[in-house]
Amino acid sequence: MPETSAPITVPDTEKEQKPKSKDQLDRGYLVICWNDPVNLMDYVTHVFQVVFGWHKARAERHMLQVHQTGKSLLARETFEKAEHYVHQLQAYGLNATMEREE
Amino acid sequence: MKFVPGQKKDAEEPLLVFQMDAHEEALLLATLRLYPALDNSHHRLSKDPGTAGSSEQRLLEESMAQQQAAHRRKVDELFRAPQRFFKEAQGGRRLVLTGAQLEWLLQVLNDIRVGSWVKLGCPDLEKDAPLELPRANARALQAMHLSGQFQMVLLEAVK
Repeated sequence: MPETSAPITVPDTEKEQKPKSKDQLDRGYLVICWNDPVNLMDYVTHVFQVVFGWHKARAERHMLQVHQTGKSLLARETFEKAEHYVHQLQAYGLNATMEREE
Repeated sequence: MKFVPGQKKDAEEPLLVFQMDAHEEALLLATLRLYPALDNSHHRLSKDPGTAGSSEQRLLEESMAQQQAAHRRKVDELFRAPQRFFKEAQGGRRLVLTGAQLEWLLQVLNDIRVGSWVKLGCPDLEKDAPLELPRANARALQAMHLSGQFQMVLLEAVK
């Protein structure tokens, strides 16, 4: 019968995560899509569906709001999540930004 | 070029098929040769001018540059082995894409469309008035319209 060695406690080598500041945890960052005359309406709807996982009706509602009023608030999130969404939307070429909620 | 619904259902991964003629294939390839068209400095994380030189803004630009490089490699792959994407078919050619390839192609075409629009001086395309542009901009105008047309056909497949 093979010997079993005593369990060894391995120190946690994972990089210690910096505690998030209150500001970063605050869901006070707005993800906004701005109107532009170049992105196709069907394309914008498609991108909203892909990035946010929305149904077509909801994606279309936001697309039309962008088109008719100049912008649409897509999400209110923490800094990191808002940044992630903006990266994704801009990767698709949409005119999207994150703004600190007043 | 048009979407052919209900094709290749027996494949492991559902494939999206688009029928086109040789002229359309040549136009699509000529348009894709213009990638990338959009400069990474175009991307802005926020409207707040205070964020212009921030580390988050730099991160966005780096992220977009990395994505552009990855897309560029895929475009090069398409030009190296077009037979992986374009197949001979009765009455023309067929572009066969996976869902992931369709997303990639949509992003590439949109980069060309938006980049061409920026080169044209960001004209208001929603106005009914015809665009008055210098002759030198004809290529950018053509690229903007062509990429938009191809996007519309690809979007038919995801509706």
